[in-house]
Amino acid sequence: MSTTQIKSSKPLPQGRASLRKRRKSLHSPLHFLLFALPGAILYFVFVLWPLVLAFWSSLTNEDAYRPKTSFVWFENYAKLFSDPAYLQVLGNTLVLTIIAVIVPNALGLGIAILLDRSGWAFNAMRAVFFVPVILSSVVVAVVWQQLMKDDGLINAALRPFTDNPPGWLSDPNLALYSVATIVAWQSVGMCVVLYLAGLQSIPKELLEAASIDGAGPVRRFRNVTWPLLAPSVTIMTVLTMIGGFKIYDQVKVMTNGGPGVGTTSTLAFDVIQTGLSSGAVGYSAAKAAVMFFIIALLSMASMKIMKKREVDL
Amino acid sequence: MRKQRRITRYLAIGMVAAAAIGLTGCTAGGSGTTTPDKEGNATLTFLVSESPNLTPEYWDAAIARASKVVPGVTIKKVVGENTPAYAQQLFASGQAPDIFAAGIANGLAQKGELAEYTRAEMEAAGITDFTSGTINGKFYGIPAGAQAIPLVYYNKDLFAKAGIDGPPATYSELLDDATKLKAAGIAPFEIGGGGEDTWATTFTLNAVVAADMLTADKDWFLKREKGEVKFTDPEFVAAAAKVAAITKAGFGDKDGMTRTYADMEQSFFDGKAAMYPMGSWFTAAADAKKLTNIGAFGWPSDAGKPAFPVVSGAGMNVNAKSKNVELAKKWSLAFATDKENMDAGVITDGAISTVKGYQIPENVGTLYKEMVAAYDAAVAEDATVPAWGNTTGDGALPPGFNDKMVAANVDLMTGKTSPEDFAKYLDEQYAAAQK
Repeated sequence: MSTTQIKSSKPLPQGRASLRKRRKSLHSPLHFLLFALPGAILYFVFVLWPLVLAFWSSLTNEDAYRPKTSFVWFENYAKLFSDPAYLQVLGNTLVLTIIAVIVPNALGLGIAILLDRSGWAFNAMRAVFFVPVILSSVVVAVVWQQLMKDDGLINAALRPFTDNPPGWLSDPNLALYSVATIVAWQSVGMCVVLYLAGLQSIPKELLEAASIDGAGPVRRFRNVTWPLLAPSVTIMTVLTMIGGFKIYDQVKVMTNGGPGVGTTSTLAFDVIQTGLSSGAVGYSAAKAAVMFFIIALLSMASMKIMKKREVDL
Repeated sequence: MRKQRRITRYLAIGMVAAAAIGLTGCTAGGSGTTTPDKEGNATLTFLVSESPNLTPEYWDAAIARASKVVPGVTIKKVVGENTPAYAQQLFASGQAPDIFAAGIANGLAQKGELAEYTRAEMEAAGITDFTSGTINGKFYGIPAGAQAIPLVYYNKDLFAKAGIDGPPATYSELLDDATKLKAAGIAPFEIGGGGEDTWATTFTLNAVVAADMLTADKDWFLKREKGEVKFTDPEFVAAAAKVAAITKAGFGDKDGMTRTYADMEQSFFDGKAAMYPMGSWFTAAADAKKLTNIGAFGWPSDAGKPAFPVVSGAGMNVNAKSKNVELAKKWSLAFATDKENMDAGVITDGAISTVKGYQIPENVGTLYKEMVAAYDAAVAEDATVPAWGNTTGDGALPPGFNDKMVAANVDLMTGKTSPEDFAKYLDEQYAAAQK
């Protein structure tokens, strides 16, 4: 049996002494490590290790239907950027992403401003706008495919006015925009909620002070609301951009990458088609790696640019 | 406050980025296989695809019947896509079941993933037809049944309304009939398929190629595999030109290109179009509705030779790495040759049985009987040809090629690409898909 002597110029009450001791022991690196370990293991197993495996696979000619795999270094990457089909996919994804960023953010902000007041009707409206967000994107795509097909409800409504209503999903010039519209529609609710939170965190005194100084609604928005909303704008822009680059479900259900060859094919859709349908696992991994780097680079760049206009209270 | 906001933002973005990375690792399926216990009891996993024809109830009853024949086997049904792509995904992720219901052999058999059936095993089970479905001369599926893909189903009432007496005997008669139907305000063909069902757009191409090319040379796709012929050869370009001409002439149901498969079938039932190129499983759907106004014919060639494209020997593939390969093969043979299962396959999926001594049940519909009579006649005249779009053995299209062809076929049908460019594109994609 041993005893520990606490050195102190002034004796502490027993309870406080043991609390200090406990606090001290909690600050040891071992404790931090123990707390971090479960999360770190999960992160390593489910994120880092698959990432390393995917990158390794991208340097091979791994194929689901070929027994032997060999190392091909950067051959898959060289093939990728000389493949016109991939460049078409990249273009489609950029168009979709631009629409998926601009439309929901603009609409979301506008709707949030209109809903930024109290009352049961406004609360109900917030819930209505949020419903598409909680729905599965596959369910949303199935419903919109039924509405947008050539003999769907939308064209049925248009037939009294025209004999040839648009082929929302069958016209190669329209299909990409139809898919983008649905993606944007589903994201609006999330933007509304985030912008509402941003608007409600703006101190009312600042808006009142601006009013007293003679600023009208437009000026108050431009000089007070908009600068203070900058963090919300940054995060929603980056999140919708990442979402835009990952679009798969809606394309798979509504157009299957068509009509025709690759007219609505996106990066994520192409990765899955190449890996699972064609079995070209190595080539697909190279496409996934490029997709990852594009998303990472654009996310970092847009955060850096947009952060500059953020204002601290 | 600013620091906290930044941390929250980085966390949120990190989570979304992690989800993006996870995209490459998404798989589905499941495994419940067990090794046999002391009494020889084992659980086997069986991948099936459910559809309006092959309902969950159909599979459950069929599994129960086969399990009675092979005691000690418990089957765990796994529902998913019965496609080579999905199967290879399951193999890659270590989730492949013991048995696959429909043909997924091509590609996977060559890679050594599937177990081989010997001819002696199959003969002992009553299999008689060994003419197709091989891979490098070996069987990896059980040729117990066949499907005709496609035949042309036609609405007799609409034909009569347009003043047409019966099915066309030549391609020019087919075009004449289509012209008469269109003049009568009836869409001649229900062709199309949109979104996930875009695969359904290729039945016209399948039919034309079978009639114009395969009735003259059954081995055309075996030769294509060896590089002895190409899609840019005149005979294929001419067939593609016929497909393009049919849609250009407005002979298709103009709303068909975005319909789902189920919607297309319903549209034909509703009399929105007079002819419907489709697989023989359609007979089950038509007979289930007790329709008596539908007939079937093989797509006619210019010379008047109808195509009867058939695929057999596709299904009941067994995982070579199963803990119970022999038991899985035994159960699969029992499943494939069980009389009630075959009856159920006939009634629910329009399957044509090729098992020795099998008698069609009395209660099947008239369209199925008409189709089987045509099949028997075609076999007697040696007039069947490979259903090239669905062949899974030797002469099959390489993995991944079909998806490319389906997409390009839409461009052909909508006039976005010419038959020549279509053929050129197919040659490029075929070369890329060949391993």
